[in-house]
Amino acid sequence: MNGAQHILQAFHHHNIETVFGYPGGCIMPLYDALVDDVSVEHVLCRHEQGCALAADGYARASGKLGVCIATSGPGATNLITGVANAYQDSIPMLVITGQVPSALIGTDAFQETDVLGMTLGIVKHSYLAESADELPGILEEAIELAQSGRPGPVWIDIPKDVLLAETSAAPAYAPAQPKATRPELTCAIAMLRDARKPLLYSGGGISLAHAEDSFREFAKCSELPAVVTLKGIGNAGKHSAHNLGMLGMHGSRAANRAVDECDLLLVIGARMDDRATGKLDGFAPNAKTIHIDADASEFNKLRNADIAIRGDLNTILKELTQAIRDTPLAINDWRKQCQTWRTTGGFQAADNEEPLAPITGPAFISQLSRTAPDDTIIACDVGQHQMWVAQHYQFDRPRHHLTSGGLGTMGFGLPAAIGAQFANRNSTVINVTGDGSFMMNAQELATIRRYNLPVKLIIMDNQCLGMVRQQQELFYNNRESHINLDDNPDFVAMARAFDIPALKIDRTDQVRRGIETILAYNGPMLLHVAIAREENVWPIVKPGGSNKEMIDETRRTAADKKEKIA
Amino acid sequence: MTTESNCETPSYDITCRMSHEAAALERLCQVVRVRGFRIAQMAVDSADGTLNIALTIQGKRPVAMLQSQLEKLHTVAEVKFAAPVVAAASRIA
Ligand SMILES: Cc1ncc(C[n+]2csc(CCOP(=O)(O)OP(=O)(O)O)c2C)c(N)n1
Ligand SMILES: [Mg+2]
Repeated sequence: MNGAQHILQAFHHHNIETVFGYPGGCIMPLYDALVDDVSVEHVLCRHEQGCALAADGYARASGKLGVCIATSGPGATNLITGVANAYQDSIPMLVITGQVPSALIGTDAFQETDVLGMTLGIVKHSYLAESADELPGILEEAIELAQSGRPGPVWIDIPKDVLLAETSAAPAYAPAQPKATRPELTCAIAMLRDARKPLLYSGGGISLAHAEDSFREFAKCSELPAVVTLKGIGNAGKHSAHNLGMLGMHGSRAANRAVDECDLLLVIGARMDDRATGKLDGFAPNAKTIHIDADASEFNKLRNADIAIRGDLNTILKELTQAIRDTPLAINDWRKQCQTWRTTGGFQAADNEEPLAPITGPAFISQLSRTAPDDTIIACDVGQHQMWVAQHYQFDRPRHHLTSGGLGTMGFGLPAAIGAQFANRNSTVINVTGDGSFMMNAQELATIRRYNLPVKLIIMDNQCLGMVRQQQELFYNNRESHINLDDNPDFVAMARAFDIPALKIDRTDQVRRGIETILAYNGPMLLHVAIAREENVWPIVKPGGSNKEMIDETRRTAADKKEKIA
Repeated sequence: MTTESNCETPSYDITCRMSHEAAALERLCQVVRVRGFRIAQMAVDSADGTLNIALTIQGKRPVAMLQSQLEKLHTVAEVKFAAPVVAAASRIA
């Protein structure tokens, strides 16, 4: 077997059935081996960024390893945004690139780029396979590494001659035993019992650890008031009575208020990103912190933890549940207080009753949430529409909400939806995108068509880079700079050019029918939703500001009026 | 960066043992840099596929954060820190 065939053997061995790739010179030996392999489904995207983001969406939606493949040089550089996206959100991914033949490395050969050097900061680990003999071992190690502990992308760069060389080497890799930690659970439980106003703060780590069920059980059993990060949306389930929703820059008033007033933060699988915490000085000022995570380097990074516990979240959550089940927490006053905030400061699904009125983002997303089936997966892009989804769609499972949290990659949604659809052939998959984001990976419409994926596309078109416009309006004196997109293409015609049916709506009375039409259609379909350019996402915390200083529409309007009078 | 800005910057001596793979040293240096430290001195020797690296680094951020990031690297077997010393210049000043 040659190096390329060993790659396919590793795929079989690890039940990797779907990979996303794009061929080229130095990776050709692998594409040649694929000709004889019918058990690996290779999905040809139309841009390597699409491949990486589709692999990412596949991994997020399925909990399995995402795999992407590209050639050297431009193929590898095109992957970079997608790999960085996976790195920032700790998505398990295997990246395979061809490299120029070993003898040509360092000669500025055709399509040579220093892939290893270029990608050091965006991978969990990377390899340059220097011989075919070491390739089987590298593959084993890389596949294990990408998925273990805190997951992340692992990149293998393989010179063409290594792909072609024959080897009988067997995969030899003994995974290191995780270093034993003595969880300070007893102290954590005592601290939790002492607290009068404890708050559960969970993030994307829950689903990364496949700990969704144990988390649910703990949340239910402890009845702790809870907040979630953008990536933790869905952790608590849509029926949880104690969930106050997302915290942070565009979080709910209820969530930010509870964080501000709590006396103990129980942080599980979250890294206290600045979009969530706002200005650190003002974040949970009265609270002690228990931090539980798979990655010890997150402890004390941004906020000191009184107790830090590293380990498998599943195991730890089960132990916590056991401890709480015997003697429930006596925090009824605090629960009641949080309930009140939830009623007054949660996200109100602003329904617009006026039939001829323009469509508003929040009302549209609320309607989508009510109409779409329970197993729907929403892959978002980045911008205002992404925040409306986070605020107004009721997610029951974290893997149903695919969003580029850490990197905030415009263009994520469409390829991620493709990946998610491959992972869940029978689920409804919807890409909710903006007019700006859509154009970043619009070429992937061709992938949807080619594989006849029933992905639904919803473009929330405000004819501008809305999120940037909003910040220019609020924080840059309304000096608009290069955010105008009023010369967008005709999105309906564009979809049709890819043989994807499409329709456009722009009035409230068309919303329900529009959504029902695309959902009922047996195949891919695009809904172009025209919304007002001026619409903003509320509330908002000024970047770098404290979460306590949330600005909402009424406050801004009052300030405006004052200014005008003055 | 000016010498002045280094005046009060704490300095630390680290030893690190890691496997001698492609880009091993770059990986180490990248983490040191991106986590807010500068390398002031570096000595490396290699034996049996292992690199032994002695580093003097300077930086104002908590050094424990750097230690946990370095330990996280797959190829790093061990990181040891000597007690922190404040940069010589600041003692004179
Ligand atoms: C690749 C990339 N480039 C730039 C940005 C900065 N950015 C964040 S949101 C945004 C506007 C997004 O516009 P659109 O997709 O139309 O969404 P809207 O905010 O209008 O809903 C921009 C430019 C980014 N996040 N990603
Ligand atoms: Mg827009």
